[in-house]
Amino acid sequence: MPTRHTATYTRNAYSLSALLVALCLPLAACHKNKHKQGATLPVSGGTLIYATDREPVCLDPHVQGDMPQVFVAQQYLDSLVSMDKSGGIHPWLASSWDISPDGLTYTFHLRSDVTFTDGTPFTADAVKANLDHMANPATQSSTAGGYIRQYHSTDVIDAHTAVVHLSRPYAAFLEVLAQGFLGIESPKALARPRDMNCQAPVGSGPFRIVRWDRQNKILLERNPAYHWAPPYALHNGPAYLNRIEWRFIPEPSARFAALQAAEVDAIDSLPPEAQTPAQHNADLWLLMADRPGNPTNGTLNIRRAPFNDVRLREAFLRSADIDGALGSVFFHHYRRAGGPLTSTTPFYSPDFEHAADYAPQTANVLLDQAGWSTKDTDGIRTKNGQRLTVHIPLRSSLSNSERTLWEQVQATARETGFDVLLENADDTSVNTREGKWDYDVRIGYWNTNTADVLRIVFSSEFLDAAGISGHHQNESGFSNPYFDKIINDALLTTDPEQRRALYYQAQKIVSAAFLQITTFPQTTRLAVSKRAHDIRLEPALNVTTLYDAWVEQ
Amino acid sequence: MILLPNTSFIILKKFILRVGGACLVLFAATTLTFITLQLAPGDPVTAILGGSANPTPETIKEIRTEYGLDKRLIVQYALHIWHVLSGHLGSSFSQHMPVKDVLWQQAPPTLKLMLSSLLLAWGFAILSVTLSAKKPLFDSAFSSLETFFAGLPQFWIGIILLWLFAYQLGLLPPAGTHGFSSLILPSLSLAIPLGGFLAQVMRESFKTTLDQPFVLTARARGLSDTAVRFRHVLRHALLPGVSLSTWAIGALVGNAVAVEFIFSRQGLGRQLFLAVSMHDMPLVTGIILFISVIYVIASFLADTLYVIIDPRIQEARA
Repeated sequence: MPTRHTATYTRNAYSLSALLVALCLPLAACHKNKHKQGATLPVSGGTLIYATDREPVCLDPHVQGDMPQVFVAQQYLDSLVSMDKSGGIHPWLASSWDISPDGLTYTFHLRSDVTFTDGTPFTADAVKANLDHMANPATQSSTAGGYIRQYHSTDVIDAHTAVVHLSRPYAAFLEVLAQGFLGIESPKALARPRDMNCQAPVGSGPFRIVRWDRQNKILLERNPAYHWAPPYALHNGPAYLNRIEWRFIPEPSARFAALQAAEVDAIDSLPPEAQTPAQHNADLWLLMADRPGNPTNGTLNIRRAPFNDVRLREAFLRSADIDGALGSVFFHHYRRAGGPLTSTTPFYSPDFEHAADYAPQTANVLLDQAGWSTKDTDGIRTKNGQRLTVHIPLRSSLSNSERTLWEQVQATARETGFDVLLENADDTSVNTREGKWDYDVRIGYWNTNTADVLRIVFSSEFLDAAGISGHHQNESGFSNPYFDKIINDALLTTDPEQRRALYYQAQKIVSAAFLQITTFPQTTRLAVSKRAHDIRLEPALNVTTLYDAWVEQ
Repeated sequence: MILLPNTSFIILKKFILRVGGACLVLFAATTLTFITLQLAPGDPVTAILGGSANPTPETIKEIRTEYGLDKRLIVQYALHIWHVLSGHLGSSFSQHMPVKDVLWQQAPPTLKLMLSSLLLAWGFAILSVTLSAKKPLFDSAFSSLETFFAGLPQFWIGIILLWLFAYQLGLLPPAGTHGFSSLILPSLSLAIPLGGFLAQVMRESFKTTLDQPFVLTARARGLSDTAVRFRHVLRHALLPGVSLSTWAIGALVGNAVAVEFIFSRQGLGRQLFLAVSMHDMPLVTGIILFISVIYVIASFLADTLYVIIDPRIQEARA
């Protein structure tokens, strides 16, 4: 999913606080989090308090569609299909489906025993209402709607059979349907005005939304009728927890302190500086997994000099000591993601992890070959009197740690003679610059559970401005007819082996073109009190699910 | 002195001037908000759609139409003023809810924070000044303490309090908006510098008053020093504190932004920051108007308090 910039606005605004607190963390003496040992069987009842960093803007994940929305949606929405850890698609609200040979028609056979928490039964009409809702421009959907651009219409054959028509074959259709962003809501609730539905959307999931107290918390309550759990769940039937209190604590150190003080039972976005103290705290356990998609990266703009020359792109990538930077910035808690796909993405190949490792000698040779062989008094390489300058806009919402990571890139790239300029600006100004292709490196990421992300990020279909300030999803400007053909061919077949071969080719082409400095995978990072058990991550996007969770009473 | 028949006319005139002034303040606030947000770089549509996602062109067109962003600037401004005049604060596009609902939800925690900070600050100022003014050693010691407090930045106090009472001692919650305990540290962060300021201005006036002849008279009647200070001198020292408090209301809202962030508190300050960064015109306008109204009310209350504290002011003004 899309919001391709990381972290919260607060981290910068009060970076001093984060710094101070980071220094003080090891001294923290408030471990009040006591628990009984040995409880192993789930018990029903109780409230779990979950604290997260960012607040959704709307609880309906069809609208806009940012990561905080899908985390809440996973608790109260079910999806048509589910995904397992290896990318296999399994039934959920749809018990089976048939795909026409031309890949244009999907016939879904639906469960007949599912009801939404407002009493509306789940039928083919609900499937139609939901897909129409995501595709409707008035919904303001940038994620769900964007993922089903191929959607044409739905025919309701009978109450439990829905036939979905696509305008062109889209083999990733079932994969995106497994994401919480495309969760199925009550058609009756969807018929309300958008902003009303945002406040309290209705699903068929294990919990229902009771109240949303903005900038404070969301209250969710158990759905006692629930008995249609996805195959990856540990149990079936109603959830164990009576209630969930979903709190917002944007400040990373305050969130961790709240967990240490047993004010909350679980936190996500555990700050890297708190990971070691969390590991050493006997009252806590950690739950982490990489989210699939295109990892956190800096994408090189190949539409202008210097990166219109592939030798300079390779030289820049090989001048940046990402492994070294990750070690010092993230205390060795973040691993490198070297290829165009995160390892948890279906059809990921490990072969490209080291395609552009740090090799300053190679970089020097490449720069000499490209004619940037002289250096000025600052040690910056020059060619025909021009300095080798790289402009990187940094948006104000970028996390401090990622900012520091790019400072390290700046420092190591300088050794081979790049003058890297980190240009700070507010988010909207950076968006405007990006719309005008006015950057050499663009920092972002893209979380989604399909290798089709490569089409969004690198194919020429996504070069054109979608319209918002000229914004384009293909940030590199890469336009390669052969790549376009391969990545679109991969959507024509549902045969896994053919898709694997095509996506392998696609990864190979973009790796060889040196289009991105990939840094670390986007990761769900939870720290949990030992009082709380079986908090898990659903496999499609590695988003928290509290369905199996229970707390010691 | 002015003759009786004219008095009601004067009061009416004062009232009209007062209301007119208030309206002007609110109009200026609305217009300035509009201009400032227009001058800020960037397109609100990106904010509505969450930065850089994957929307279809139809979605973008729909948003422009829905929020009137496709209209000419002057038309947008006219509509903006018209909506405010007709009492329609509109719908926040970053929060997907009516602006009045956002205010209804976010104003109480901020008002609580402001009120408790103001009370704490006044409590500190009154005690510090009344108990120490013109007492050897105490006077200079407390006076220095006040200057020190007044110079401390709120966010810094917030961090230190957070570190000490929440992280190290674990006595108070580090974050959230959950009852009285979560109000203590944020209120202290705002109250400490404000208390310092209040005490500084009150101390001057307090000391001048202590030298007045009527104080000597009171003492001569056998009143104890403490009684003289609390019952006679304090009243005179309150006036500069009251006028400073009007200013403080504005400052408290501003500083609430930082404090609400540090303590992850619900409230208007944090909401305003978010709304500005999202270019959310209806919400920014709503919050600014709300704060302006509070300001107008506060200055009216201050004027009333003046008269109550010192009836001579009414006579002088008439």
